[in-house]
Parts: sequence; structure tokens; C-alpha cells
Amino acid sequence: MNEKKIIELKGVSKSFDGELILDNIDLKIYEKEFMTLLGPSGCGKTTTLRIIAGFVTPDCGELLFDGEKINDVPPYKRSVNTVFQKYALFPHLNVYENIAFALRLKKTPEEEIYERVEEMLTMVNLRGFEKRDVNLLSGGQQQRVAIARALINKPRVLLLDEPLGALDLKLRKDMQNELKNIQRKTGITFIYVTHDQEEALSMSDTVVVMANGKIQQIGSPTDIYNEPENAFVADFIGESNIIDGVMLDDFKVRFSGHEFVCLDKGFGKSEPVDVVVRPEDVDVVPVEKGMLSGIVDSVTFKGVHYEIIVTINKFKWMIQSTDYVAPGQKIGIYVEPDAIHIMKKSEFSGMFGDYSSFSDELEHLSDVTEEEE
Amino acid sequence: MNKKSLIQKAAASPHIVWSVLFIVAPLIFVMYYAFTDKDGNFTFGNFTELFQASYLEIFMRSVCFAFLATVICLVIAYPIAYFISRAKPKTQKILIMLIMLPMWMNFLIRTYSWMALMEDTGIINSFLGIFGIEPIHMINTAGAVIVGMVYNYLPYMIIPIHSVLSKVDGRLLEAAADLGSNPLTVITKVVFPLSIPGIISGITMVFVPSISTFYISQKLGGGNFDLIGDTIERQFQTAYNYNLGASMSFVLMLLIIISMTIMNKYADDDGGVII
Amino acid sequence: MKKSNKIYTALIFVFLYLPIAVLILFSFNSSNSTNSFAGFSLKWYKELFSDGATLLALRNTLLLAILSSVIATVIGTLAAYGIHHMKNKHIKNTVLTVNNIPMMNPEIVVGISMMLLFVFVGRLINSSTTLGFGTVLIAHVTFNIPYVVLSVMPKFKQMDRHLPEAALDLGCTPFQSFYKVEMPQIISGIISGFIMAFTLSIDDFIISYFTIGSGFETLPIRIYSMTKKRVTPDMYALSALIFLSILILLLISNFTGNSSGVKEKKPVTLKQKKRRRIVFAATFALIAIITGAVLISTATTETVVVNVYNWGEYISDGSDGSFDSNKAFEDYYSKVLSEERGHKVKVQVNYTTYTSNEDLYAKIKSGVGGYDVIVPSDYMVERLINEGLVQPLDLNNIPNYKYIKDDFKKPFYDNGEETYSVMYTYGIVGIIYNTEYVDEEDIGGWDLLWNEKYSGHILQFNNARDAFGSAMYKEGINVNTATEVEWRNALNELKKQKPLVQSYVMDEVYNKLESEEAWIGAYYAGDALSMIYNNENLAFYYPKNSDGEFATNIFADAMCIPTGVSEENKKHAEAYINFMLSEEPAIANAEYIYYGCPNTLVTENPDYIEYLGEDYDVIYDSDIEDNIDTLFSEYAYRNLPTDKLALLNRLWEELKVDSSSFNGGIYIVSGVIALGIVGFIVFCYVRKVRRRRLYWNTTPKTK
Repeated sequence: MNEKKIIELKGVSKSFDGELILDNIDLKIYEKEFMTLLGPSGCGKTTTLRIIAGFVTPDCGELLFDGEKINDVPPYKRSVNTVFQKYALFPHLNVYENIAFALRLKKTPEEEIYERVEEMLTMVNLRGFEKRDVNLLSGGQQQRVAIARALINKPRVLLLDEPLGALDLKLRKDMQNELKNIQRKTGITFIYVTHDQEEALSMSDTVVVMANGKIQQIGSPTDIYNEPENAFVADFIGESNIIDGVMLDDFKVRFSGHEFVCLDKGFGKSEPVDVVVRPEDVDVVPVEKGMLSGIVDSVTFKGVHYEIIVTINKFKWMIQSTDYVAPGQKIGIYVEPDAIHIMKKSEFSGMFGDYSSFSDELEHLSDVTEEEE
Repeated sequence: MNKKSLIQKAAASPHIVWSVLFIVAPLIFVMYYAFTDKDGNFTFGNFTELFQASYLEIFMRSVCFAFLATVICLVIAYPIAYFISRAKPKTQKILIMLIMLPMWMNFLIRTYSWMALMEDTGIINSFLGIFGIEPIHMINTAGAVIVGMVYNYLPYMIIPIHSVLSKVDGRLLEAAADLGSNPLTVITKVVFPLSIPGIISGITMVFVPSISTFYISQKLGGGNFDLIGDTIERQFQTAYNYNLGASMSFVLMLLIIISMTIMNKYADDDGGVII
Repeated sequence: MKKSNKIYTALIFVFLYLPIAVLILFSFNSSNSTNSFAGFSLKWYKELFSDGATLLALRNTLLLAILSSVIATVIGTLAAYGIHHMKNKHIKNTVLTVNNIPMMNPEIVVGISMMLLFVFVGRLINSSTTLGFGTVLIAHVTFNIPYVVLSVMPKFKQMDRHLPEAALDLGCTPFQSFYKVEMPQIISGIISGFIMAFTLSIDDFIISYFTIGSGFETLPIRIYSMTKKRVTPDMYALSALIFLSILILLLISNFTGNSSGVKEKKPVTLKQKKRRRIVFAATFALIAIITGAVLISTATTETVVVNVYNWGEYISDGSDGSFDSNKAFEDYYSKVLSEERGHKVKVQVNYTTYTSNEDLYAKIKSGVGGYDVIVPSDYMVERLINEGLVQPLDLNNIPNYKYIKDDFKKPFYDNGEETYSVMYTYGIVGIIYNTEYVDEEDIGGWDLLWNEKYSGHILQFNNARDAFGSAMYKEGINVNTATEVEWRNALNELKKQKPLVQSYVMDEVYNKLESEEAWIGAYYAGDALSMIYNNENLAFYYPKNSDGEFATNIFADAMCIPTGVSEENKKHAEAYINFMLSEEPAIANAEYIYYGCPNTLVTENPDYIEYLGEDYDVIYDSDIEDNIDTLFSEYAYRNLPTDKLALLNRLWEELKVDSSSFNGGIYIVSGVIALGIVGFIVFCYVRKVRRRRLYWNTTPKTK
């Protein structure tokens, strides 16, 4: 990875109507990087993006581009382009004119415009669509036009604000690959905003997890998944059982009334901690061989595996296993030391309970409504 | 289901009957009178009479006055509609309400009030007199008539433009800025083209009443600037020449239908000719 | 908003509200001037609430607006429902196109087209009272429906078409499904359509103007007839009150209702829903009660209606505590009839006004005005008699006729066997001038109106006969026997005069001369005296010809009954005429009008003579009184033969449309702007084509 910083946010804060949306954000973005801002709605990721694009001026802090402060540079003078949520294509222009928009403003000669538009259309696989009315295109096609339109200016940085949010699952996967390819081909820095953790993990070089206007963790997708910084990150990225525990000593933790060996150290003696165990890292074993045991509440077939909810010491664990167990059955579980991840207590501790109620869908619904604003 | 579809079919019938009786039939009468003489014989005489230089000039004058009033309305209304559409929703609502409020006042009395304002010894000139400025002659001029039209029909221009502009997705403006438009080109390349439907309906709503008005020109023009409306009114209310009046109305109607067709043709195109 | 934008917005609001501010300010004026503020007073508000005619007009306007918008809402909503479900595209489009006609058509065309229909139907069924409340109501409903349809239609379009199906599926009958499921979806469209219809109806002037007849006057029509002469500040007071109440209404609806209305719709709680429902129910109930009350109050007691069509400000109307002649007649005649018939009879005088004989003629000729008593001038009486448009009076029913001076009983215009008219007033046209601006040496004749020294300050009659008359008296042409050449000469004089004329007016002379906006104008002696009373700089003379003889118009206005009036109504009309000849109303009217009165009960009344004071000798100038016969035969207008009438109309048209002042500037400016716009469009089009050339045909259209 090229290590040249292209954009840097230093102590950036922003509030709207007295409500703090961004709280002292520090962020460095490097050249040719594919960076994703990930978080639930209202976490400030879109505001961060809009600050970089120039639509929002931070209340305090600095925004540096190539080391120069650009807080007060209007959007049209920044070499940053945006692919908008729901695309924001100009409804009065056809595909060709939409893509040519930026070049026309620069009074580029017609022949050059033609060449570059065709080049862009080729890149996004839309040759032959020049004359089409953008309002009659499918979501995926509109998406491609939006990307072509933003890239024709050859920006240093491309900002993408939930660009795939409106597409169906299949199309989404295709577009993810395509976007990644375009990024590789063009070598442009992408800053990508999404609330979909899977998307973030599969596409990014760097993931920035945000919540409550703060950055919770910056790291590579694997780091973020394997070494979540706090309960929020652990819960937001993938499924996890987050259990209250006490660090007994280095490499020794106690939770659910049992002592476990782990790979973490550097905590204080008897320090309360959050313990993360991913459902796929839990093995189902006969009761007598288990480190813990409990009664199976429910079993759901998920195709690749069964999702088993087990009550252990009044805490409902989620376990993913390829073996079927019957509800009501008593089972033991076994956890390898490297499957246990210890986190310091944080403001999010205790907010993410066990799997006693399944809240995925509800969360998703609240996402949708808040996105509308 | 049958019962329902019967209801559906019957629901529009009072309206259709009403339309035939009170919209279509009256227009047939206009045509009848336009193409007959006083004794009810078929004739083109009414139209040939209209081709006198003096009537032609009235038509010319009406078209010019209405055209200028429309252009001025558009020039004045567009910026204010734009400013309002960029304000907070609540402010927008209040400002639009304030723009519509004068329309609730009787237009005759508002026009009459302009007379008091613009007379040589009127309020504006008395006010200027305080500063030692010579009275400006305003009333009974073409300018006064046009001011009257602009005043009366300005809200009809502001409101449709505003309603289109307020629906323009703010992201489109951001997208334009993002792609390198400065605030001016954002307006010329994105806002203006998108607001063309509003402009068209505004133009219609100002041009049609302006070209056919008969009160404003009488009051503010002192009877020196007869417009089509005045002439038609005279045929029906004093000269008792229904035939000539009907033929004038007929021509006026044609004039409007033709200009509307042209306008709408290029509005349908999504303002396509321009962009 | 930026500062400059704010300033711009503020300027526009100043422009929009300036006339309204003026209007509110002058509603508190202590004098009746509408352009100079004399002092603060509330007297016009007081006046307003004692002005029965205005309040009646206000009531009529509200009634008309409520009825027409309710009917239009019902028809329009049904229509929107029906049109939405139409399967045949062609029929649907046709219906929608026809629906749009009243909106796209200029109002004046809508107005005259309906008028032509009503006149035709009126003649067909041989009714003289076709024009009236019914026709205005039909006209209003007609132009209201399209707005309702257009605001309800989109709601049907937005509605999920499965909704009614879901309702049917869950067991609703079609009616229930409409009422319980579809209705709530479209109610907002219905309400906004209703409000729009109501607003349009309240404010409509043009369409009402052409479709209204006797016996029904809306507020805009009343204001119109007022602005033709002098708008009294009580109209300003009324407008100020209307403005204020609308402002308050809007503020209430804006700040209490759902203040978040513009943003997203928040879920409505049941309680709110209930409250809204109550508000709706209350509003509709209120409307229903008002309508009902008005209808019942007009329907229960037997009512005799007398429709009077008179000149503006031509009857003592109760203002400033004076005698209200119409009211007095209503009371008196109601008593008479009630006694006669043995039960309560209400008498109602519908009093409407016109500003020229020609206006009156157009209404009478159309035959559908429904007027019972009219007051045309001499030559018009003659014409109406000749054309059989008025009927002979039964003098037995008008015993007070005996009080008319003998000289005036058989005037030239009505000296046949039958008596068709009873003289109401008479007078002489004189010239009023402002002594501040007009030199004494210039006065004396009609040529003052042609004096270039006073260009831009001269008023001319806005009526063919009087305007031509002035030119003829000036040129020494006989106004009644002029040849075509002489008529043309007169026209040339008027064309010569046109650039000097400030405006062509009738009753507006009062305001224009009193405010010194204009300096010279010809008008009737009595009016001149009341103008002098209001502005001492004004003076007045009877114009003379070069031989030093009177050369001016003498006129008489007389009460007549049009032909269409039924036997029954004619009796009432005659009772009205008789009442106006009795002492009290006759004196009150004479004092109010300030013209000569042919009634001996008046002229011999010492109080009246005292009231006139010096003016008595001007109005009843002994030179004139002694020679009344000769004056009438020499200088009064006679009815012209048809060919001359047609000529007069044609020449008048020619004068009116003649543009002596060529508005070159206007044409050049419009031309340049139009060229600019066309040029711009062409430029854009060419650019677009050029741009497209590169890609438009080169790439194959592939999917």
C-alpha cells in the first residue's frame, strides 16, 4: 500500500441544531486506498463524507488535502467527486449528457468529450446507452451512470455514499466486485460509506467503524473482525456472544462461572472485561466433555449450518454448528483459547445482550427509516 | 364487482352532462355569433372587420402588453421563488402564504388602490414631493397598465415556479457542485432546466389573464390603451354588437390555443429544445 | 439567505403589500378622499355596518361561494372518481380536455360564452329574468369544477389500487369500501379543491359580471360599479376587515395545526384524528347551517321583489343619516300589501346601477335582465319606446303623477297617446374647471376641452353620445340631425382631442377633479356644485356658442317599466314609481342627487329651497326654466335613426381603438425581447444538435 496521505481530518467536529453529530474525528486516508466508513445510521459516517466533499463545513478541526487546509474550499473546486445515495442523476439529461456534465463545464472540446464519455461507458459496461433517458434505466444501470459521471473528471478521491443501498442482493454482489475492479484499475482512492458490514469487509482495504459520532476502530477487515475494540464493534461486525467476564491474570479469564485460558494480556488484575466468542468458534460437545453446559432453546436450519440458541447460566448463547441437536437437549460447549477475545469495558458494555430476542430485523427497519432523512 | 363498476361508470356522468351544457354549448354559441351577422345569416364579415388597422393594433398592443408583463413577472418571480425554495420548510410555508394573501383581496380594489398610488397628485408623488422631487407622470401610461398586470398576476408566476423548485432534489444541486459547477452554473445548467415545467405553467397563468384583462387597462391606462378585453367588453356591455364581440373572443381563443400548443410542445420535450 | 437576497425578497413584498397598506391606511381616513389623508377616524367602519347594500352583497358573495363550491366539490369528486376508472383512453382524454377549458380559456371568454347561452335560453323560454342568482351560480360551479377535479384526480392516482380490493376482500360492500377506505385517502384533495373553489368564487368578478342580472349583486360587482365612480372608504374598511380575518385564519391554521406539515407526516394519533374529525364536522355543519338559514329566511315569508336598475348615486340611500328611499318603500309597501292580502308580505328592492344609457340598453335588449324599473335618459326612452322595449304606464296606479309640472308631463321623447315614462330628474351639462390652473380668458365655450395648454388634464366623457355631443356643440353641429359628414367632422375633432385627454371617464370625474388630478371636465350641473363644495378651487359654467347662446346638452332621466315585466310585477313597479313621487322620498332624492326636479312637491317646498340656498338659482336657472321647451327641442339628444346609431357606434369604436400616441417604445422593447428569447432558443437548439451529432447516430441502439 502506498503510504502517501491524501486526506486528513484533524479534530473535526460538527453539530446540527445543537446535536453533536461528529465528535472530534481524526482520520487519515492514503492514496489508492479503498476505505469504508461503516456504522449504523446516525453515526456520522455520511457527515464525514459530506465534509470531505465540501457540502458541510466542520464546526472545528481541520480538513487537509495533500497537506493543505481546504475547510473553506467550495465543493466545485475540490478534486473529489461523489457517487450519491440514490445516484442524483440529472433527470433532464440523457446518459451521455449526464456523464459529459463535468467536462462541459470545463469547456472541453466536443471530440474529447466524446472519447472520454465512450471510455467511461465502456468501463461501466453501458456502451450503446448514450441516448437513453436516465429515468428509464434500472437501478444498476443508473448506478453505473453515476459512477461514470463521477469518474470522468479523474478525481483524486471518489466518495461513495451507500451506492448499493437501493439494489437487490444479487446485483449488489456483482456491483461490489465491479466497484473493486474499477478501483484497482483506476488507482483512485475510494471512500465508501455503508451500513452493511459484509459489504465493508469484502471490499475494503481499511474499515472505519463509527458510532455516536466517534470512530470506534480503524483497521483491516480481518483486524476488525478478529480483534474488535469494544462491544459495539464486536456486535456490529458479524454475530457474537458478548459475555461479562473478569480478567484473573494475563491469559486467564473467568466468565459464566468458569475459568478459561485465552491469548490476551495486559489487563489489570480482576479487571471486569467484555468477552467475545464468535458463534462459529464454539464447538458442541457431549455434556461431560464441555467447559460449560446448557439446554438447547431452539434450532434453526440455515443451509450451511444450524443456528443453535443455548441457555448457559441464564445467558443465551448463539452457536453455529453443522451438527443437529434437538431442542430441549442438554449439551456441552467447548471454546478454544484463540476463540476467546477479551475487550476493555466501554460505554457499549451491556448494551448488547444475549440472543434472547432476535433483533436483526428490527435493527434493519430502524436503519431504513433513518436513512430517509 | 358489477355494482362497483356501474358506480364507477356513472360517477363521471353529472360532470359530463354539466360540461356539455355549460362548457361546450356556450362555446358553440360563441362560434355561432362569430360567424353570423345581426340577422343570423352566415358571414365572415365580423372577421374582415377585425382586419382593420385599428383592431389589428389592439391585438398587437394586447399581445405586447401581456408579453412584457409576463416577461417582467418571470424575471421578478424566478429569483424570489428560488430564494424561498432554499429556505427552511417552515419559512417557506409562511412566505408562500404571504405571497398568496394579497390574492384574497378583491383585485378591483387593489387595482383601484394603485390608481391612488400612481396619480400625479397621488401618494407616491406626494411622498417624492417631500424630498423635493418633481412629480413623475405614471398613471394613464403604458407602464402603469403593465405594472398593474405584473402586480395582479405576479403570485401566479411565483407559486408554480416555487412548487417545482422546492421539489428539486437538493442532491442534484450538490451533485452539480461536486462535478465542478459554481453557484451560477448550478442554476443555469441544473436548476433552470429542471424548473421549466413550473416556468411554463407560470407563463400560462400570467399571459392568459393579462391578454384578456379589461379592468386594469381602463383604470390605470385611462381608456387610452384599449386592449382586447376592453374591446370585447364594450361589444357586449355597451355597443351591443354580440357578433363582433364573439368573433374577437374567437380570435383571442385561437391566439391562446396556438401559443399554448407551442409552449406545451416544448414543455413535453422536458424543455428539450434548450438543453 | 444572503443579505442581498433578503433585501430583494423584502422589496417584492413591499411591492405586493403597498396597495394593501394604502387601502388599510385610508380606511381610517376621516375624509372620503382616497389619496390624501385628512386624519384618523373610524367612521368608515361605522358606515360599513350601516350600509345595507354592501352587507347584502357580502352575504350574497358568501352564499354564492359556499353553494357553488359545495356543488362543484360533489360533482368534481365524483367526476374524478369516474374519470380515474375510465378504461377508454380517448374518452378519458376528451373529458379531461373539456374539463380544462374553463381554466385555460380567458375568463372574459368563459363569461361571454355563458352569457350568450343564457340569453339564448332566456329568449327560448321567453323569460325576462333568466340572468340572476341561478345563472351566476351555474357559472361559478362551471369554473370551479375543473379545479376540484384536478386536485382530487392525483389522489386517486396515488392510491394503491389494491386498497379497495383489500377492503372488498375483508368484507366491505362497494359503498363501504369507498367511504371507509378510499375516502380517507382522497379527503385532503377534496378539501384543497373545495378551498380553491371557494376562494376563486369569492374573488371572481369577470365571469359574474357577464352572467349576473338584476336582483343579485356580489361584492366584486358592487366594488366594480363603485370604482366606476367613487369608491367610498367603507369599501376600504371592508377590505381591511377581510384581509385581517384571512390573515388571522391563516396564522391559526399555520401555527396551531400540524406545524410539521411540510416535513414528514408524523403518525396521527387516534385522539388527533378524532379532533380533526370534529373540526371537519363542525365546519361542515356551520356551512350547512348558514346556507340553510339563508335559504329558509328567504323562502318562508312571501316576498315581493322589485328590481330597480338606476344610475350610480342616483337615490337617497341612507348614508350619513339621510333618508333611505328604497328602505322606506320596502316598509311602506310591505304594510300596504300585508293589509291588502291579510298576511305578512315582505317587500325587497333589489337595487343595481349602471353608468351609461348604452350599458342599460345592452341589458334591456338582451331581454334577460329581469328589471322592473329602469331610469333611462330622454333619447334612450325614445329609443326604448320605438323598439317596444318599455310598456305604457297605468297612471291610475301612479296618482302622484299629478305633482309633475305640466311642462314636463309630455316631454319630446314621450309625447304620444300613452305615457311610458315619469320624469325623475333633469339637468344641464356644464364645464367644470380648476381656477388654480385654468385662465379665466380661456373659459366660456366648449373649446376649453380642446385647449392644448391643459394637455393631460382634460377629461372627456366615456360614452359615445356625450363625447360626440361635446364636439358637435363646439363645432355648431346639430346633435340630432347631423349628416354623416358632420359626424365624421366631430370624430376628427375628437381624434384631435385624444392626445390632450387624460382619460375617458364617467362618474370618475368627481375624484379626478376634486383631487386636482385633472383640471377640466364636462359634467352635470348638480354634480358640479357638489364638487365645488368639496374643492373650492373648482368653478363651473354653462358653455355658450360664438353667438353667446347656450350650447349645451339638457337632459332628463325618466322612470320606465320594461316590456317583459309581468302584469303583477308591473303593479309593484308602478307603486315604486308612485312612492318616489311622494313628498318625503322625492325631496330626499332631489337633495341627494342635486339635479333639477320636475316635482312640484319638491320645488315648492320651503325646506328644499332653503337647503339648496344659492345653488337653487344655478340648478333652476330662470333663463333655463323659462325656455325649457325650446331647450329640450334644440339641445336635448333625440333618438337617432338606426343608420346613424350604427354610424355612431362605429365612429366611437374608431375613436376608442385609434391610437394617436403610437407606443413605438413598447413594440420595440417587446420585439427585442422576443427576438432575444427566440434567438436564445435557436442557439440552444443548434448547440444541442451539434453536440448530439457525435454520438446520436454513430452508436447502434443496443440493449
